[in-house]
Amino acid sequence: MSKLTLAIPSKGRLMEQTTDMFARAGLVVRKVGHVRGYRGEIDGLPGVDVAYVSSGEIAAALKAGSVHLGITGEDLIRESISDAATRIRFLQKLGFGFADVIVAVPTCWVDVATVQDLEEIALPFRHLHGRWPRVATKYGNLTRRFFASKGFGDYRIIESAGATEGAPAAGTAELIVDITTTGETLRANGLKILDDGVILKSQANLCASNAAAWTPELEKICDELTSKLAASVPAKAAAR
Amino acid sequence: MPAETAQNLEALASQAQTLMSVFTKAGYDAVAPSIIQPADVFLDVIGESLRARTYVFTDQDGAELCLRPDITVPTCRLHLERYADFPATPARYCYSGPAFRYQPQGATASHPREFRQAGIERFGDPSREAAEAETVAVVVKAIEKVGLKEWTVRLGDLGLFSSVLDAAGVSPNWKKRLDDAFLKPLSFREALKGFASGARVASPGIPEELLASLQRDDWEKSEAAVAVYLEENAIELLGTRTLSDITEHLIVIAEDRQEKPLDARAIELIARYAEVSGPATTAGDRIASLLKGAANGAGVALETYDRRLALLANAGVDLERVTFSAEFGRTLAYYTGLVFEVKSAGLDAKSPIANGGRYDGLMRAAGANTEVPAVGAAIHSERLLAATLKGAQ
Repeated sequence: MSKLTLAIPSKGRLMEQTTDMFARAGLVVRKVGHVRGYRGEIDGLPGVDVAYVSSGEIAAALKAGSVHLGITGEDLIRESISDAATRIRFLQKLGFGFADVIVAVPTCWVDVATVQDLEEIALPFRHLHGRWPRVATKYGNLTRRFFASKGFGDYRIIESAGATEGAPAAGTAELIVDITTTGETLRANGLKILDDGVILKSQANLCASNAAAWTPELEKICDELTSKLAASVPAKAAAR
Repeated sequence: MPAETAQNLEALASQAQTLMSVFTKAGYDAVAPSIIQPADVFLDVIGESLRARTYVFTDQDGAELCLRPDITVPTCRLHLERYADFPATPARYCYSGPAFRYQPQGATASHPREFRQAGIERFGDPSREAAEAETVAVVVKAIEKVGLKEWTVRLGDLGLFSSVLDAAGVSPNWKKRLDDAFLKPLSFREALKGFASGARVASPGIPEELLASLQRDDWEKSEAAVAVYLEENAIELLGTRTLSDITEHLIVIAEDRQEKPLDARAIELIARYAEVSGPATTAGDRIASLLKGAANGAGVALETYDRRLALLANAGVDLERVTFSAEFGRTLAYYTGLVFEVKSAGLDAKSPIANGGRYDGLMRAAGANTEVPAVGAAIHSERLLAATLKGAQ
């Protein structure tokens, strides 16, 4: 019988939190073979094959259908899969990996509190500085969709691989779209979130790929895994 | 739908030849701008929505390039290379070649990622309506020449809205805000309702005491007040926007709040104008009757509209097939005045065969030292071929 493939983050805090949550659900995940290997299994759920995948690539694996299930942030799914609603099923919020995708501008922009205000300054900015305001982000797709929904189009996206919060002070962008949990890093970099600037309240999710090959047996194992995990997620966290 | 069969390739090539022969006979110079273009110019000019649909890549030297998403901007650049010092030098160009767009919903026959555009552009011609009417007429002539019999033209005019505002006698401040709001069909009605109920309300997040203390007559004091506010709240001034940029926008907001509410009659006129839609000749009558009672009279708005229709008829375009819609053109990039599209009954409503219009701001955005009158149109070759084949069945 073919097995259900579950992709979980291969390192870092997300991997630890995933392992902890499985433990709370009474599921022990252990690596198969070498300790540095990338395959694993779950005690008590012999039908599941665990694949350790770097968290940035889990969305791509779900999109392609090379895994049945994956644990990853909703932000990464929505960013890398433009038709997520048809390709992915969000099975269970997991109550960790909280991150808000937000629009932030320099705090000294006391004249800008909303996207509407931002729109108003775009043209004068272009006249004075010779270009549209630049938005530093690694969430280009989320940013475009969000601004388009607000009718705002006068900006340029600058792809940012890391340390996005530093871009406005460094002069490489005027504003940013990034993730934040407490807002501490934003404040330290002299940035504030726009009043209507929360694009997505994200957390880790158990996701199923519609592109993967499913059988009734695999569906059954998936249901079993989902209900075990659901029972171990604090109700408050899942309701966020 | 790239030409993946020999038969298809032949049909497209022969169609392109016919289109180009109509264009060149009408006095347009054939040009072939580069397919690979510097990304910067495009991304600055077209806005982020088309940028999202442009194939952008970095070459081995790190230069940001793109596959052209249309041929209008490359033609502007070509003109600028020829006439850098005198960009308003009159010129007419025509072209036929591939353009490329990422299709977020997946590529389909009517929305392919690679398609052929055949088009005309006319720069530096000060006789506005004549140039516009001729552009529409040449496109109609070209598609008739390749054998399409069923077609309709829809006109819109972003400049006409401005003229209607002038006729209604709204203040410059309101005019600017109404012009901005009109470009957003989704929120226009809502915005108009807000304008009716009174002056601007600043976002609650903008400090009230600061707004209240600002005055344009006393610029230095105002800027100092903003500086003091930042200092007292331990806010560091960082980034590209200067203290003066921020002060200026705060003063605009403060001024907007002082503005008298928009006159109810003006609102009524604007709302009714936005609903005008129908055969071009009757739409003109409708606008005339709307403007009859306007504060400043009909003014130039209607004259322009009527002259353009007369010129269209003179150029041989059957006005029976021409409609006008006040709303049309609001969501299109870079157009500034007349907009038009050509449709055929056989194709779905979102797939015009050709579209074009006036885009006076584009040349300056592409680097010209002055504004250059510009009007042009592009034909979607694959759609035209499909419609022609359908019509011949």
